[in-house]
Amino acid sequence: MKLTVNGIAHDVVSAPLATLLDVLREDLGITSPKAGCEQGGCGACTVLVDGEPQRACLTPAASLEGLEVTTVEGLGAPESLSPLQQAFTHHYAAQCGFCTSGMMLAAEGYLKRGGTDDREAIQEALAGHVCRCTGYVKIIDAVAAAARGDSFDLTVTAPSAGMTNLGGV
Amino acid sequence: MKAVGARLPRYDGIEHVTGRTTYVDDVRVPGTLWAKALRSPLHSATMSGLDVSPAEAMPGVHAVITAADVPLLEYGHLSALGIPADEPLLAKDEVRYKGQPIAIVAAEDEETAMAAVDAIEVDFDERPPLFDIRKAFDADAPKVHPWGNWYPHFEGEMDRRQIRKGSIDEAFDRADVIVQGVYRPAAIEHVPLETQVSLAVPEANGRLTVYSCTQALYFSMGVIAAHLQVPLNKLKVVGGTVGGGFGGKVDTASETMCALLAQKSGRPVKWRWTREEEFLCSSTRAPWHMEIADAVTKDGWILGRKMLTLHDSGAYARFSPYGLTKHSFHHTGAYTIPNLSFDGFVIFTNRVPTTAMRGFGVTSVSFATETHMSRVANVLGLDPYEVRLKNANRIGDTSPNRIVYTDPSTVSVVKALAGGMEVELAPEYAAMTRDPREGDLLPEHLVSQMADPEAH
Repeated sequence: MKLTVNGIAHDVVSAPLATLLDVLREDLGITSPKAGCEQGGCGACTVLVDGEPQRACLTPAASLEGLEVTTVEGLGAPESLSPLQQAFTHHYAAQCGFCTSGMMLAAEGYLKRGGTDDREAIQEALAGHVCRCTGYVKIIDAVAAAARGDSFDLTVTAPSAGMTNLGGV
Repeated sequence: MKAVGARLPRYDGIEHVTGRTTYVDDVRVPGTLWAKALRSPLHSATMSGLDVSPAEAMPGVHAVITAADVPLLEYGHLSALGIPADEPLLAKDEVRYKGQPIAIVAAEDEETAMAAVDAIEVDFDERPPLFDIRKAFDADAPKVHPWGNWYPHFEGEMDRRQIRKGSIDEAFDRADVIVQGVYRPAAIEHVPLETQVSLAVPEANGRLTVYSCTQALYFSMGVIAAHLQVPLNKLKVVGGTVGGGFGGKVDTASETMCALLAQKSGRPVKWRWTREEEFLCSSTRAPWHMEIADAVTKDGWILGRKMLTLHDSGAYARFSPYGLTKHSFHHTGAYTIPNLSFDGFVIFTNRVPTTAMRGFGVTSVSFATETHMSRVANVLGLDPYEVRLKNANRIGDTSPNRIVYTDPSTVSVVKALAGGMEVELAPEYAAMTRDPREGDLLPEHLVSQMADPEAH
């Protein structure tokens, strides 16, 4: 079958019920979607399918013929970070990083649907994504900042009285 | 000091947001086999007739290991400190918790490995399991280990961690009221988003490279080398990228078995636990049973504390003696109590072995102490903030293990809490600082508590 991932078309030969997660990780070597639970419970494997967040661990790859899959590698590279990637970096929204790619793609889907910086709406959009490190506050800060269109300086800054690590600037 | 107060980017932040961080499960080595474990379906049983030959005969199965394949079967994380090990890498003759590994298979793919595990034959003679830590403490309880349910190897081969300070009998004689409480926080699973995973790769030069999600790389290195009975220079252990640990990845849970399978099969072997295995078989924060009796005066001074702590170690000791030791050092919480009698036991049950989790050994006693402080205030009819401030650690006070406090934060924290709750403190408490005790705040019973500046 043909599977397009981050704009690149792949010929994939897989078992009939192989999950998108297995195909991405094991066949294509795209490892940003994580196998956190393989039961649809944690959100760490989330990718965008034609712009909509989907659990890769529950999606049969064979159902995606002709559709466009986006993983976090497709959002932007280190030298060309997307606004959402910049926001996650600036707001320290990733700690161990294992939930981050799924979180970011759920957030990307939310922003694409015209999501605002309303914190409750962001929480709703990220429901079902489990993070055990940051406590979610910084993640919501980052998504809200990206929704507002904040600009970010990712370089080292001088000590500042206004700096806070308690939920972002 | 350029970093203090500055906004610094995380060293791995850009990698995280671009999907480039390489966790253990992301390492790609051609020809990697999948590992799966036969785990005990019972909490407690004797085991016989273990036969892995049906699994070994299956096409696609490259190696099966059992206790008989492990060069040194029992080695503990604290063995390097001279503390005897009690846990076999793979169960032999007995299982003591549900989920204990009995045999591990390495096969071409996950499905074959699972089928091979199902083909292994073994018989169990089930025993009644023991889960309640308080019942396990009793002399007539069924025994989890041949020697009993109390960990026997504290210094001097004592069966408990014991602290005696001041004169506990005098404190209880002089008390106006004895306030008692029992506190039993439950087990907590760490639930890291990355389940336990490791990958062992045999190298052409005879070494093994082991990729590990461990939080404690050098612990793991020593443990793997000891079980395999190889010198450290035969191992290259790669770690440092952990998808959440919180203490749950301090134990060496999967690396050694992966290494043995890689040795036996000559192939790279990966073992990634399922979420179900992570919940049911991985170590947890311990359940605790804590009994406190405080000798208090009507005006809110705590003269003395008697405390009994039972720490649920689960089936094997691992780091529990260390956790209980920390617990004992902190058993007065953020407060200064001059007369102490503490006895703490590491108790074996048929639960999964317990381990570190964020504040190992200390969060339990913080929960107990803070709840008990409010109970003392309620019994005496006093303000809970003021009882805390009165007994708060001050500069020059000493901890249960006689460490002198030079930078205690109790006073500022309790005042901040009162402020946050919009509680107005009486003027003498609002004005309180952490400076060394004097005047009314240095009553007779605390004189001996003060550190002698000459002695330190």
